Amino acid sequence: MTDRDQGTYPPTEKMLAQPVPDDVAKGQEERLRKVWAQPPGWRYWSAVNNTEVGVWYCLTATFFMLLAGILALLMRVQLAVPENDFLDADRYNQFFTMHGSAMMFLFAVPIFEAISILILPSLLGARDMPFPRLSAYGFWCFVIGGIFVMGSILFDAAPNAGWFMYPPLSTEHGGIGTDIWLLGLSFIEVASIAAAVELIVGVLKCRPPGMRVNIMPLYAWYVLVVGGMIVFAFPPLIAGDFLLEMQRSFDWPFFDPERGGDPMLWQHLFWIFGHPEVYIIFLPSIAVTAMIIPTAARRPIVGYSWIVLSAVGTGFLSFGLWVHHMFATGLPSISLGFFSAASEAVVLPTGIQIFAFVATLMVGRVRMIHPMLWIAGALAIFVAGGLTGVMVAIVPFDWQVHDTYFIVAHLHYTVFGGMLFPVIGGIYYFYPVIAKKQLSERLGRWAFWLAFTGFNVTFLPMHLTGMRGMPRRVFTYPGDLGWNWLNMISTIGAFVMATGLLIFVYDLLRPKGKQPDPPRNPWDAGTLEWTHNVPAESWGIRSIPYVNTRYPLWQQPKMQQRIDAGRYYLPDAQEGKRETLVTSVIDAHPLHVQRVTGPAWITIWAAVFTGGAFIFPTFHWYPPAIVSAVLAVACVIYWNWTSTAEIPEAETKDAGLGLRLPLYVSGPDAVGWWAVWITMLADATAFSSLVFSVFFYWTASTQFPPQGAGFANPVLMAIGTGLVVASWALTAWARRDAGRGAMAALAVAMLAACAGGGVLILALWLPDMDPTAHVYPAMMWALVVWVIVHLIAGVVLQGYCLAGLAFGKITRRYDAPLWNSLLFWHFLCLTVLVTGAMVAIAPRLMT
Amino acid sequence: MSHDKQTSDARQFAEESASLTRITAAPLAWAAHFALCYGAAAVWCVKWPGPIGQMLPLRVGLGVATVVALAIIGWLGWRSWQQWDLLDDYDYEHEMGVGEDRHEFLGHAAFLLSIVSFVGVFFTSLPLIFAATCR
Repeated sequence: MTDRDQGTYPPTEKMLAQPVPDDVAKGQEERLRKVWAQPPGWRYWSAVNNTEVGVWYCLTATFFMLLAGILALLMRVQLAVPENDFLDADRYNQFFTMHGSAMMFLFAVPIFEAISILILPSLLGARDMPFPRLSAYGFWCFVIGGIFVMGSILFDAAPNAGWFMYPPLSTEHGGIGTDIWLLGLSFIEVASIAAAVELIVGVLKCRPPGMRVNIMPLYAWYVLVVGGMIVFAFPPLIAGDFLLEMQRSFDWPFFDPERGGDPMLWQHLFWIFGHPEVYIIFLPSIAVTAMIIPTAARRPIVGYSWIVLSAVGTGFLSFGLWVHHMFATGLPSISLGFFSAASEAVVLPTGIQIFAFVATLMVGRVRMIHPMLWIAGALAIFVAGGLTGVMVAIVPFDWQVHDTYFIVAHLHYTVFGGMLFPVIGGIYYFYPVIAKKQLSERLGRWAFWLAFTGFNVTFLPMHLTGMRGMPRRVFTYPGDLGWNWLNMISTIGAFVMATGLLIFVYDLLRPKGKQPDPPRNPWDAGTLEWTHNVPAESWGIRSIPYVNTRYPLWQQPKMQQRIDAGRYYLPDAQEGKRETLVTSVIDAHPLHVQRVTGPAWITIWAAVFTGGAFIFPTFHWYPPAIVSAVLAVACVIYWNWTSTAEIPEAETKDAGLGLRLPLYVSGPDAVGWWAVWITMLADATAFSSLVFSVFFYWTASTQFPPQGAGFANPVLMAIGTGLVVASWALTAWARRDAGRGAMAALAVAMLAACAGGGVLILALWLPDMDPTAHVYPAMMWALVVWVIVHLIAGVVLQGYCLAGLAFGKITRRYDAPLWNSLLFWHFLCLTVLVTGAMVAIAPRLMT
Repeated sequence: MSHDKQTSDARQFAEESASLTRITAAPLAWAAHFALCYGAAAVWCVKWPGPIGQMLPLRVGLGVATVVALAIIGWLGWRSWQQWDLLDDYDYEHEMGVGEDRHEFLGHAAFLLSIVSFVGVFFTSLPLIFAATCR
């Protein structure tokens, strides 16, 4: 027990065996139903429940997948015969660019987040995610960004430089396609990071009491690893986007060799994101597999620890692979050797989990439930893709097939086997939880066999097409190279596969009103999501159970009945507030009751204005972009002020089973603090990418900084840095004091931060460092601009805390916003110190 | 609230922080070694290669780093093997929701990760043996 919560924990069997009187249970159910009810009518769209937002998210991602699939079919039509003129070269370029970009950014990553938002709370026996409005905000950002990026194709203005956007093609190319890609997808990446933060905090802090790390569902382990990977993999791309967009908009020559820039930097930043990305989409699907296999085998998974090892090991190793996309760029052969070695090493953890699955199936009593068909197909396809992966990880072989259809075949074998098929299997599996209906097994079999056959007919011949030398991304080819029949077969296969996938989508969307309710646990699974209510209830789970086994429905036989009776935690909503339980990170000890936010329009407005801030600059309309950004910040402030860290009506509340828990916590106990911590890790990673860029330019060229170049004014840099550090110190003091003195300290801190920012700008301005002249001043400015943007955010946070103290939203007892703001400032302080060193000191040493 | 008191999370972290660190320590050692190899080779081959791209000092230096990394991972593996304590009860499932299972599970997972990291570092060091120049 901690010193704040009071009562008995863990609950005794005697307490759990005590029945709940019927009338009490009925009253509780009514109150819960009312609190968690969906807004009616058109207000439905203001819902923020994970069950609503998750479904919208999944359907939107599926919609983008279908669009990207249509692009692929059109490309296959173009390639069916040689010298075809069905599509012209430019349109073909737009199509393959958008096919890749949409499949990756608008389908593969979002569908992981969508499915996780949808099912993770029920896997963990939680009422909802910890920050429902954040999920809703992320979803609306995704919709707006997705439509913007995808819609460009209708105006013949889509990006056409490939999904990797390599300069100089992307910098020299006219038109706004590249800007749409950079700004639209950066916007979506921000939403992805928001979802990742939410999912990580959900896994760490919202598990049911008793669910220690060694018994949490494997899905949760994978979500944790993948969330962590997103936090470290997406920021380098955001940093790269920032640099590339600065070049396109303001002619800062980051990738222009004539002024000291280097296109290779983009390739590094892109693939530091791009390779982990492959595992970011692969691991969640393996996670789904890890949930289905024990159910099909009717026994617990074999080698739980081995699978955790696989997930964590793959997560780490995947960051050492990025250069294997750059084997043909002329890097020193020893560098290639390192990455080749790591690419072979990652096979170990990847293979181990597959052996664990096979072992589970071997020792279990397998029942071929329909989702298993997709999983079996997935394993077959993925193993083939993995084996060609082992081949292309070897440098000399890669040189032979680089940029040929062999690679197209390889990557599609990995993404279909490692992502699409398991996801579809997972949708069949979880559909009863999600929709309280079942998908048709007959249609499912048709869909599977058509998709599986079509897939192999399409992509198996491509290995040969590639070996025969057909390059990727060509819109047509001459008829005398021996590629004709291979391409024709691939095109036929593509349509067969599309038919299968369409049958699946039809089955997914067709009305099922007349279908009777499915059994509650149709596959006889053992995990918590199958305690769901049929027909649906919007409360998530009736009461939050005490879990001490890996497969509670198999191993704790009375659990279902006790959940339904409201025997466990939080069976009621006396105060009429949405609540879920927050537990400790390692042992899931109950810590406090978290009030979660309800339906709101403000999240949609916040998303709309955030969209404006990203989309207007595409057209170089900067004033409306700035207005949008200000309004977006205003919306987020309003949303936080009105619905987060509210001062509760009582110190503690009865959480059920005789346990009283606090209603308000701050600092490391609070989920908000964890979210800030994780977000700032992502932010620090983006900043590190900029620092990496400085060193990259230094190693890649003897002209960084160029001879005779000026340096930032060291005195001003020192003063500016010092002012920001002082602002940080005052903020830290304000957190300790949290009273009248804190208000004065915060006011001075805001002034110091503003002054510090101004002085930092002067430090570059006065020596006349022109960012368009050479990449060295541009890089120095990029670092300072980064700091300035963060200083603005830091000052807003200080102002928020100042207002909170002034209006009684923050007090010594209720001080969560102060803790969270200070955490932001810790990172900001570090950022400005590093920037000071990089701008004022490092260049002097580099010459 | 209770800023200065130890919270429940903090106490648990104190109890398990060693094993939590250990679960990521071995992969982090791999990452550090890998980053060092990549960075050192990149700088060396641009700034100080011999006339035909020789890099003997680089190979020797990174060879020493490899031995250090392998030793650290080996030590981590030994510590997590002790935490797993297999020979005590032959438990490799750790499937119960009790403190001992959680403790041994973290040891088990860390042990397995140190094996993968060991192999990873070994693989990374192979180019140092096979490649003699930067070219």
